[in-house]
Amino acid sequence: MLKLDNVTISYKNVPTVQNFNLDMKEGQIVSLVGESGSGKTTVIRAVLGLLAGGGKVTEGSITFEGEDLLSYTPEQWRKLRGSDISMIFQDSGAMMNPTRKVGKVFTEYILTHEKISKKEAWSKGIAMLERMRLPSPDNIMESYPFQLSGGMRQRVGIAMGMTYQPKLLLADEPTSALDVTTQAQIVRQMMKLRDDYHTGIIVVTHNLGVAAYMSDYIVVMKNGKMEDQGTREYILKESKNEYTRKLLEAVPSRGGERYV
Amino acid sequence: MSEKREVILEAKHVTRRFAASHGRTLLANNDINLKMYKGETLGLVGESGCGKSTFMRFLVSLDTPSEGEILYRGTDITKLKGEELRNNRQNIQMVFQDPTLSFNPKMNIRDIVCEPLMNFKKIKKSEKDAVCRKLLEMVELPGDFADRYPHNMSGGQRQRVAIARALALEPEIVVLDEATSALDVSVQKTVIELITKLQREKNITFGFICHDIALVQLVAHQVAVMYLGNLVEVLPGKDLDMKAMHPYTRALMGAVFDINMDFSKPIESIESEAPSPLDLPQGCPFQGRCEHCMDICKKENPHLIEVEDGHSVACHLFKKGGR
Repeated sequence: MLKLDNVTISYKNVPTVQNFNLDMKEGQIVSLVGESGSGKTTVIRAVLGLLAGGGKVTEGSITFEGEDLLSYTPEQWRKLRGSDISMIFQDSGAMMNPTRKVGKVFTEYILTHEKISKKEAWSKGIAMLERMRLPSPDNIMESYPFQLSGGMRQRVGIAMGMTYQPKLLLADEPTSALDVTTQAQIVRQMMKLRDDYHTGIIVVTHNLGVAAYMSDYIVVMKNGKMEDQGTREYILKESKNEYTRKLLEAVPSRGGERYV
Repeated sequence: MSEKREVILEAKHVTRRFAASHGRTLLANNDINLKMYKGETLGLVGESGCGKSTFMRFLVSLDTPSEGEILYRGTDITKLKGEELRNNRQNIQMVFQDPTLSFNPKMNIRDIVCEPLMNFKKIKKSEKDAVCRKLLEMVELPGDFADRYPHNMSGGQRQRVAIARALALEPEIVVLDEATSALDVSVQKTVIELITKLQREKNITFGFICHDIALVQLVAHQVAVMYLGNLVEVLPGKDLDMKAMHPYTRALMGAVFDINMDFSKPIESIESEAPSPLDLPQGCPFQGRCEHCMDICKKENPHLIEVEDGHSVACHLFKKGGR
């Protein structure tokens, strides 16, 4: 479904991500893990053509459903975003206009993708919120983003991203700003998307526990390069890569070795 | 527990109310009773807004409780004023989550680390170089870092400088407010190792605020779990995994994603969200999310009851002396 072939991404001619390869199948969940600044977010931003500050793919190709994304015009990109490929961010509240109600943002999003009446768009939004099991969707549509809790905002973001049942969902640290109990809820919900809609998901996270729980395939990144990759079982149990082992050992674990 | 444990700080019936809009009050700390022991770490866990930081801020006199007292070696530090208050700050210091925000960006590391010592006139200007070098070496940084500025150091290095500054006055108690939360796991590990090493060497008491219960479990001698301003369970850190009793503590432990967990089992978590602290129900604060909720839970807020030596729980399910 999605293929990144030997991709190098540069900001101002300085390569930030080098020789990145990934071959992703439909309905697969892939995690990109690594420390801050290792280029995880840059990779998924490139897939959606959203590289910040003059970033450019300088080498390699990105193919989605057989089409070469790098040859797309801005107009084609815009059609693709939010319909076949969606993205959710660390705080979905921050992507919404803080001075407008959720309902307004949601209907505007729907209306840019299809020609229906405002009323139909509104009820479509409500139906999506219901599907994401948000309580009293009418209320949420009438609220400003800051009036919702972090977990609710994140669910609204997922609901918006899933409106057109994308084949690929890109999630950039989707649970990092949440409390542990809410994090578990969101992770469960994202895994259900795969079961219900057969959506493939790329998750960028620094939380190795979340990555291990969710994904079929894990890519470990370091300084812009792929340090290690493999199935979950391989990365967690078999990989001999020093860096992978170091990362795994640093994760505080239930019943692990105590410091005191 | 050994009898040698020495209580150096005790919070008694600490309550803090904040005035909120429309004449409402927000109860950030509700009747908190806690003890801190010499050379031990007290871990404080709970979700955002449960009052962890509110409580720890009392210890460093950044705020005062509405009711109750905090006794440090017998003196109530909440009543201190003027010079007495200033002098007490030598005993209790703090490390914040984000060192970039707690440093003056225009001061170099030498001035940052030595500032507390200069304020209390503990050293002369001419001694700064040597003292700074020694403090930096204590936190395993090269002494040459003295001439650097905060912005050209990594997050982990900055946090080490923050620890050096907090320890400069050789305080008895250091409060770490999410001090490792902004760091990458591998860096977090090295900072934790440093903190625990310094604790062993200098017998420091730590107040460790953290939302990562898996980490708290590994570093704290004593763990206090808070929920919406209430203390719901206090127990030894080593027992957290096996002996936690309060439904909320167990839910927190169940929601931890662990790399050694059984991935075929669904992750447990409470489905609902925490109520607004402005709109607390009568009775137990956890009632709406608890699967064991009984009639009494809706009427009375349970008190902390000691079920074992060093293990107290506030839940109607448990009575004195066991389940």
